[in-house]
Amino acid sequence: MREALRATPGELADSDLMGRTANGDRDAFATLYRRHHAMVYRFARLMTGSTSAAEDIVQEVFLVVMRDAGRYDPTRAALPSYLYGVARHQTRRRLARDRQFVALDPGDAESTQHLAEDHLTEAIERREALQRLRRAILSLPRRYREVIVLCDLQDVSYSDASAAIGCAIGTIRSRLHRARHLLTQKMGRAAPSEEDHQPLTMRCEV
Amino acid sequence: MKPISWGDSDLADALDALRQVEARVETPPHVETALLAAWDGSHAPRSRERARSLWREVTAVAAAVTIAVGLAHLGRELRRTTLTSIEPVGDSRTLLVVGEPILQGEPVRVVRMRVPVSTLTGLGVRPATDSAATHVDVDVIVGEDGIARAIRVGM
Repeated sequence: MREALRATPGELADSDLMGRTANGDRDAFATLYRRHHAMVYRFARLMTGSTSAAEDIVQEVFLVVMRDAGRYDPTRAALPSYLYGVARHQTRRRLARDRQFVALDPGDAESTQHLAEDHLTEAIERREALQRLRRAILSLPRRYREVIVLCDLQDVSYSDASAAIGCAIGTIRSRLHRARHLLTQKMGRAAPSEEDHQPLTMRCEV
Repeated sequence: MKPISWGDSDLADALDALRQVEARVETPPHVETALLAAWDGSHAPRSRERARSLWREVTAVAAAVTIAVGLAHLGRELRRTTLTSIEPVGDSRTLLVVGEPILQGEPVRVVRMRVPVSTLTGLGVRPATDSAATHVDVDVIVGEDGIARAIRVGM
């Protein structure tokens, strides 16, 4: 898993931190959280399209870690795969509960700052394109959406994605191929023209 | 909407751009605060429970030691006691009167205790038990004054 932070010499490995967490070591739990929260949050955010849902999912995932750290078996899966698996389960529960996708949040302050540095027109076009891409990803069936999020947006390897999802690597490949095809279709179909930005009301004289 | 031609490279570029934007997204700090508060909440009672459990264990050990010392003292008293009479009380049990006789209507307490066979042998009584047994269960009848009055033992 490329994104996952690996333990450097002098740092405790994830499995050691999980063991210490199981024994009630608060610092070990805090270290685990700081090491892995971002990938869980981004995954949940991209899967649900909602920052508040993503925050809830991160909390649920790490509450599971807090409760079941002793049951984690490092020989079965690396911790990032385990966390993605838990996050995936929590995301499914959340989406099933909400029954529909929540509205897309507006761009965060960081991306706005990024836009301000670019040429304005290009920045707006880029931002709109990203918003369309987000919507297109959210409209994908969940099994396609999760492989796009994991492999294309989180840089997770096929083998780690297969461990997180619990399917064969070949299935990951075929779903990814299908997901990209669907995305390409959706993006081509949904490209807005200038007329689409015209207001629906018009001025008239009485 | 106007249809435009989207290819694999367009999608790859768009996904790459989105990945770069997403890489800057961070979990809000209040999530960590809430989680650590949950940790403290779930672990603090456990340490209190551990302390309570430890206190219960200490109390139980102290009570056991007190009872053991009391029984040992009672055993020593029995050894010093002079056997005054041996009276059969039915079945195969016998009442050994070891102190002042029990008065009619005197309230007594019966304490079941395990005593060494040698203690009873010292009183001239051989209980009905295996030859290998070193201890035997007896009923000690204790008077209102706390002094053993008799021992009921299987013969």
